[in-house]
Amino acid sequence: MASRALAVWEHRKVVGLLVRRDLKVKYQQSVLGYAWTMLEPLALTMVYFFVFGVILNANRGLPEEAMAQGGFLLFLVAGILPWNTFGAIMSEAPRAMITHSKLITTMKVPREIFPLATVGTKFVEYLLTWPVLIVFVIVLGGRPSWEGVLVWLPLAIVLQFTFGLGLTLFLSAVNVLLRDVERLVRIVTRLLFYGSAILFPAAMVLDSAEVPAWAKTAFQLNPLLGIFEMHRSVWFANFEELTPTTVALAASVIGSILMLVIGYWTFRRLEMSVLKEL
Amino acid sequence: MAHPTYGAGLTTGPVIEAKGLGVKFAVNRRRKRSLREMFIHGNKRDPNAEGDEFWPLRDVTFEIGKGECVGIVGKNGTGKSTLLKLIAGVLIPDEGEVHVHGKVAPLLELRAGFNDNLTGRENVYLVGSLHGMTEKQIDERFDEIVDFAEIKSRFVDTPVRHYSSGMKVRLGFALISQLEHPIMLVDEVLAVGDKAFKRKCYEAIDRMLANQRTMVLVSHNEKDLRRFCNRGLYIKGGGLALDTDIDAALAAYNEDTKLEIDERKKRDAAKKKRAEQAEQDGADGDGGQAA
Repeated sequence: MASRALAVWEHRKVVGLLVRRDLKVKYQQSVLGYAWTMLEPLALTMVYFFVFGVILNANRGLPEEAMAQGGFLLFLVAGILPWNTFGAIMSEAPRAMITHSKLITTMKVPREIFPLATVGTKFVEYLLTWPVLIVFVIVLGGRPSWEGVLVWLPLAIVLQFTFGLGLTLFLSAVNVLLRDVERLVRIVTRLLFYGSAILFPAAMVLDSAEVPAWAKTAFQLNPLLGIFEMHRSVWFANFEELTPTTVALAASVIGSILMLVIGYWTFRRLEMSVLKEL
Repeated sequence: MAHPTYGAGLTTGPVIEAKGLGVKFAVNRRRKRSLREMFIHGNKRDPNAEGDEFWPLRDVTFEIGKGECVGIVGKNGTGKSTLLKLIAGVLIPDEGEVHVHGKVAPLLELRAGFNDNLTGRENVYLVGSLHGMTEKQIDERFDEIVDFAEIKSRFVDTPVRHYSSGMKVRLGFALISQLEHPIMLVDEVLAVGDKAFKRKCYEAIDRMLANQRTMVLVSHNEKDLRRFCNRGLYIKGGGLALDTDIDAALAAYNEDTKLEIDERKKRDAAKKKRAEQAEQDGADGDGGQAA
């Protein structure tokens, strides 16, 4: 295990090369590469703002005072941009090994570097969403807090990419043997989008009298719920109802680590069969 | 990770050691069951699955010393390429083990790693770096690579998707033959390219071999094998049948092939005879109806 991690570390240059190649291919295909990748989440944000904020009044879950620091629009943007990255990880994870089959069957490298490169690319793309987010923060008058920037932000990023890496290791290996996993993942991504409370404050569900207690617990056990609440807490740290509950926080930390362990274990377990199948 | 050992220090020991190597593939496997199998039984053999197993290679043991050039011969589907993959470390054996001392230059799939959307130049840098060349090394050899691959300079900065398949393979060979890894694995790649390019490939390989490098070559071309190899491994039915000089291995292979062809001829003749017999019987029996 430790020697394996060392081998991956020794091949970090290869990971870097793969990441750079993916970014190059993606942003070179169209002149407006960067603009296009940002346009989609922004267009969606506007739709969601209109449908959920204006028509369905999902912003009623937001405290009054939060309106002054960016309000529902900043709340949406701060959740949708990282979600967009996560959704991209989910959709590319099943193909992380298959797309590199030719390299994998000719080059002797620790196989983990291919899922790692996929997640690495997404991490860089996540960093590239920050300029847009900052524009929103400035225009809407968002106020970052020390607690948010020093605690919630690093925690959210580390957990999101830990979870994402575990998931990619798991899905990339399983999908080689069972190619229908890819289709399943697409549906699950949709469900998780609503299950992770991207479009409304989680407190709306937790405070609702109509939702049974077991459902509330199940809702908080989704590790992604806490992660995306943290992403937004960066801008709304002083509001109790917008920070993750203890259960959600514990679920995010334990869930992310567990996902990485399960993903890595599955990956190593299936490695021999995957190599034969590619 | 095995550290590459160039030059002296290891001149005495074998460069490639294979001990009781075996690989198992599942045949006619229902995927669902197999996945459950893997999770529940792990790598242990499932007693019920015995009949569904197929060993393309089993119990293969050999050693290859430094500077040797070994040709692997055998029929299609006897596990020659599988053996190369095991040596390259891109397939994990189910049985036995293989030790390789030194870095391996895999001339297995020459287009591997090329991205269609990147230009020829970008691909050379990408794949070269993936195989461990430094940027400086590639800078120094770039012109040589492009020249060897016979890519016209106006195509160097064109995306590879506009290249012909020959151009891609030539570029791949030109690049990988620049690697200074002490071990080369070659799988049928000499079959590509036109006559002039082939000759250049031969010269490049001769040059590499003169440099005390080890090569394992899989080919069906006897001329290639005789030209480069001093030793031959004859793989038959998933096992190592012979480990001698290349001429003896080829002779044994040809002998077996001849036997097989004779066998088939005999079978065909018998079949034909039977068919004729049946026809005759039929003609005799219901000749009246046919008319």
